[in-house]
Amino acid sequence: MFSQYFGHYLLNRGLITREQLADALEFQKTVHVKFGVIAVDEGFMTTAQVEEVHEKQRQMDKRFGEIAVELGYLTEAQVEALISHQKQSHLYLAQALVDREYMTIDEFGAALNDYKKENSLSDEQFEAIRNGNIDTLVEQLLVSDEEKAAKYGKYLSLFAKNMIRFIDDQVYLEVSESNNVVPGNWLIKQDIIGGAPLFTGLSTNDETLLYVASIYAEEELTEIDALAKDAVSEFLNLHNGIYLVNMSNWGTELNMNPQQIVENATVAGELFQVNVITSKGTFQLVLSDNPTSIEIGSAAGTQAV
Amino acid sequence: MKQNLKVLICDDSILIRKKLRSVLEKCKLEEIFEAENGVIAVEQAKEHNPDLIFMDIVMPDKDGIEALKDIKSFNPEAKIVMASSAGTSDHLKEALANGAYDFIQKPISLESVTLLIEKILKEESANV
Repeated sequence: MFSQYFGHYLLNRGLITREQLADALEFQKTVHVKFGVIAVDEGFMTTAQVEEVHEKQRQMDKRFGEIAVELGYLTEAQVEALISHQKQSHLYLAQALVDREYMTIDEFGAALNDYKKENSLSDEQFEAIRNGNIDTLVEQLLVSDEEKAAKYGKYLSLFAKNMIRFIDDQVYLEVSESNNVVPGNWLIKQDIIGGAPLFTGLSTNDETLLYVASIYAEEELTEIDALAKDAVSEFLNLHNGIYLVNMSNWGTELNMNPQQIVENATVAGELFQVNVITSKGTFQLVLSDNPTSIEIGSAAGTQAV
Repeated sequence: MKQNLKVLICDDSILIRKKLRSVLEKCKLEEIFEAENGVIAVEQAKEHNPDLIFMDIVMPDKDGIEALKDIKSFNPEAKIVMASSAGTSDHLKEALANGAYDFIQKPISLESVTLLIEKILKEESANV
């Protein structure tokens, strides 16, 4: 998930274009990561040292790791670590961007350092995030407001994990600054009740609904029919159920009401909204820890599902 | 070994009913009934007297725990497996206290249902 965050940072800084990011994210799934790129990415070597090793590699038939150890740039233990990292090649946005010639390795290294500084990340936090620790990512990058993090952090962390687990491993979440729910064609909602009540909803257009539904149902759905609506609704129900289990393990017993679907809904109240950007479209996750403040209007009525 | 277990699937989700039915059919079970809420589940249980019932918990009209209590009152032998994503300790305790046979945490895997069916078929054949 870090790739999505860092990728969007590069995009927002104007270092790469939206098309280049999409292409690199797709490309990184198949790319073979070069040793030198990971060594820089891991902070084991400088780009100059990598260049020096590459230069020597052209002159002799030796592996990158061997030369780097001979030159004293890497220890044997670091080479071992890099080999194991290399196997997780899909994690490396760096290689994809460099291979596609969207950035040089120098530019990537510099941007990575800036990113760490701008987000005030400690080495430990940075490592955790890069190694896929969603809790740290949500806490440090997604919800910086402490009050909001206390209210919604656990829910969002789990939502990110479940999106990755069940729907899309390329998902990117961003907290919406707007206080208005972007009117989607469909609002799928479920109330969590008990000591820590929570209004939960997904606001989506037809296209994204069909994308999420098709993946969750494990079949190609092309029409907004009962099955398609049910599939998205069941994903929310599954996620909320797992949230209830987690909360129960932490000592808070909660319950939930059956989900409902509202067509062309308007939502008002004390909302916390997150844009959920998938590979095939965006929907909104709408939450409120004050469910009684929520008012839902619709021209088309509510359907229990 | 008895293969003709009658099964009732009670879940408000069309998708879950469809998936569970397909898993049960793979287990060579043919008599499968469906209910979309607790009220219909109780009616179906009276009508068909199923050997095994998969029961969701969070449903409109009548939830799974209430339906479990009702069905157990007229068919104490029914094996009712609660299948929910919300397997909280409260739900587990309440289901087991009311005579649930087992609890499956959603998402439902093919393996968990297959193992369960095998276990029940063994019990049934041991009782013959």
